[in-house]
Amino acid sequence: MITFLSLLATLLHAALMFALAPLLFGLVGKLRARLLGRRGPPVVQPYRTLYRLLRKTTLVPETATEFYPVWPFLCFVPLGAAALLVPGFSSGMLSANSSDFITLIGLFALSRAATLLAGLETGFAFGGAAAAREVLFSVLAEAAFLVVLLSFVLIAHSPTIDGIALAFRGGHIGISVSLGFALAALLAVALTETGRIPVDNPAGHLELSMVHEALLLEYSGRYLLLFEYAAMLRLLLWMSLIGTVFFPFGMAHAVDILSWPGGLALWFLKLGVLVSALALFEISTAKMRVFRVPEFLGVAVLLGVLAGIFLFVASRIGA
Amino acid sequence: MFGLPGQGIHLHVDALSALFLCILAPQIMASALGGMFRSLTFWFFVLGMVLAVLAGDAFTLILGFELMSAASWLLVLRGDEKPAPLYAGIAMISAACLIPAVFLPASSLAFLLIFLGAGAKAGLAPLHIWLPRAHPAPPAGVSALMSGGMVKVALYILIRYAFVVFGAAAQPWWGALLIAAGAASVLLGALRAMLEVEMKTLLACSTVEHVGLITIGLGIALRAKAMNDPALAALALQGALLCAVAHGLFKPMLFLGAGAVKSATGTTSLDWLGGLIRGMPRLGALMLVAASGMAALPLGPGFAPEFLLLHAVIAAAATGGILARIGFTALLAGLGLSAALAVGAALRLIGIGFLGRPRSLHAAAAEDAKHATLLGMALLAVLCVPVSLFPSLILGFLVPVIQQLSPHSDPMPLAYAPLTLALLFLLVGGVAFALLHRLGVRGTREVVAWSGGFGRPPVWLPFGDPATQPSATGFADPVRRAIGLGLLARGGVDPAEAYVFAPLYRLHLRLTRLAEHIRRATIRQRLAFVFAALVVFLLVLGLRQGS
Repeated sequence: MITFLSLLATLLHAALMFALAPLLFGLVGKLRARLLGRRGPPVVQPYRTLYRLLRKTTLVPETATEFYPVWPFLCFVPLGAAALLVPGFSSGMLSANSSDFITLIGLFALSRAATLLAGLETGFAFGGAAAAREVLFSVLAEAAFLVVLLSFVLIAHSPTIDGIALAFRGGHIGISVSLGFALAALLAVALTETGRIPVDNPAGHLELSMVHEALLLEYSGRYLLLFEYAAMLRLLLWMSLIGTVFFPFGMAHAVDILSWPGGLALWFLKLGVLVSALALFEISTAKMRVFRVPEFLGVAVLLGVLAGIFLFVASRIGA
Repeated sequence: MFGLPGQGIHLHVDALSALFLCILAPQIMASALGGMFRSLTFWFFVLGMVLAVLAGDAFTLILGFELMSAASWLLVLRGDEKPAPLYAGIAMISAACLIPAVFLPASSLAFLLIFLGAGAKAGLAPLHIWLPRAHPAPPAGVSALMSGGMVKVALYILIRYAFVVFGAAAQPWWGALLIAAGAASVLLGALRAMLEVEMKTLLACSTVEHVGLITIGLGIALRAKAMNDPALAALALQGALLCAVAHGLFKPMLFLGAGAVKSATGTTSLDWLGGLIRGMPRLGALMLVAASGMAALPLGPGFAPEFLLLHAVIAAAATGGILARIGFTALLAGLGLSAALAVGAALRLIGIGFLGRPRSLHAAAAEDAKHATLLGMALLAVLCVPVSLFPSLILGFLVPVIQQLSPHSDPMPLAYAPLTLALLFLLVGGVAFALLHRLGVRGTREVVAWSGGFGRPPVWLPFGDPATQPSATGFADPVRRAIGLGLLARGGVDPAEAYVFAPLYRLHLRLTRLAEHIRRATIRQRLAFVFAALVVFLLVLGLRQGS
């Protein structure tokens, strides 16, 4: 019975993740446009875009190699697997034990690597230039991500996301300076990984300044659909991750079906808050120059290290 | 079983040497298949390595080690004369440190000598600068065995002495020393692997990184063992030994592949390659498998060791004093940086070398490698499968080794489950593929690449203008500007070279000049010197008498 309930929770979670990812994207776009005083596209626009891409012929450039169709799948599949590992509305899903944080970092890296290879695939200038920049961003983002993870594991005594969420929900952690620094660092990493302003502009149209989108210039049709959908899933994944780790209150237990509605409602609320925060942040800052991004991420690494140091000092003085 | 010389050669196999023999065996086969079968020097090289690993006494160990060094020096010399003197010099330094060390009683001095001797041979920073020069010089089969096997033999000696022979005298700072050297190697190796343009040099730099990773694992284990923390020691040893196993599989593959590229195109410079996967599809697929190991991506052979090592560093950050903890936090940041740099280096190798458009006619006309080479690489690729998908099985074989190195430790099962992950991948990928196939418009149409709106290239440039796609140098440029300028010395030189070897070289030059000056002294100067010496001698004698 218990296994059945956690299976049910996992399936519901997976269905919601895969179904809601485009909606979240649409919400951010709509809210951003509204805040700028424009009407903006309808919230369901991403679904329409995906459907349109599904019905279009897929064009393959002459200079593409045999691996051209492989990269879209290799980009999407790790994120799809990660969507099953990162808890959303409920903890204790079937995948709880394999949701190790380092595995998650590896899955993100695999997906990014496939996207970069897609950019280098046809051998045209914009893809290569964007891939070079993306490598630079990923180097610093990964360092920051790992250091932040250190603080989590030391506080929660568990390396899995599920375990960290459970420990943080326990309440005896309290509000600590370390977690504040960790949150700031993780937000910077999330903005970089999902390609939002100030690191990259998802709505940009100038190839020279694009990073994420420039990698996909040579892709069309159903392959582009996979990349676009992966980007939407990535945003939802990061929001769920931040919501689960930093605001774990009100999460349901998979084995307790009565707690599900509350967990679901709170999950939607958390996502809503994060969407509004992202939209507000995006309209209030401008995109950085490429070589300012390393400084931005360097600050994130330092904040992560500081979070660790504060933790050690606190444990030393017994606070 | 360690005896004095003069008693003949003793061979002895225990769990540790059996493990290293297992690491060596597949690469020796692959290298022999890769074209080294008929070279006698190569077999002497192999004999030296096997003898060093099987040695039951110190004399045999040194004999095997020096045979390995001498044979590999000959092979390097035949490939390229330029790095050979540097290689011989470093080999002499490592011999000069190792030979006294193996006969000394267990002490910190003996450990330091072993660390210097074996570290120089393994390519640990700051004595790593010979490695990116010497490893690419010989033919691919030898490069493969040098990178995958020879550095492992040096690490074997380090493990054998630090954990087994001197095990009782171990102190925590021994581990800290290993961790510091390993961290420097990881950072410099990963960064230089990202920046180098020659394929084989890039791979050699990546070897420096992996040696650093293994050494960090060994250092954490040694420190934990000295501090009576067997659980952490077991975790770190699992990571280090699994990393040695995995690196011994994918690195020889990459070197053999680079050799095949060299014989097909006449160059290994990434700036002249591109689009090789069209002419060399089988080699390209094998290289992709090996590169996923080098990049330590999930479901590749390199991820499980990286996973264990990162967990070991995180666990180590919860032990020791506050300075050690801060050090481990910084180490983790450095490891994150290097892990992403390694991904970047592997992407650059595949993306610039094998994908995209050809950058020269040689690259456009490349044909697939010889069957024997492909067979050797395929052998290693098949062995990568258990390391990638069933690392728990390999860790099960490592248990006796870990218990030999760190008694009373009980290795934990691995928390990373690649098989579950692979099933998830299949599920998600299958559903996505089926949905796209069922709902989407099927089939594809081949068109001219969009390329930001630029038109079709002229007929006399069948692959377009090679200069319009980013080169390997250009691809690495953002990293060079943002990170390389901070970590490398001026002009992009390795800091070990600029701050350790260059001053040593200047000192050597000055001393030589002084000696030459003395040698060329005139008869008057010599007489004056003898007279002055006499006066000083008498003066000292007189002063002593007086007091």
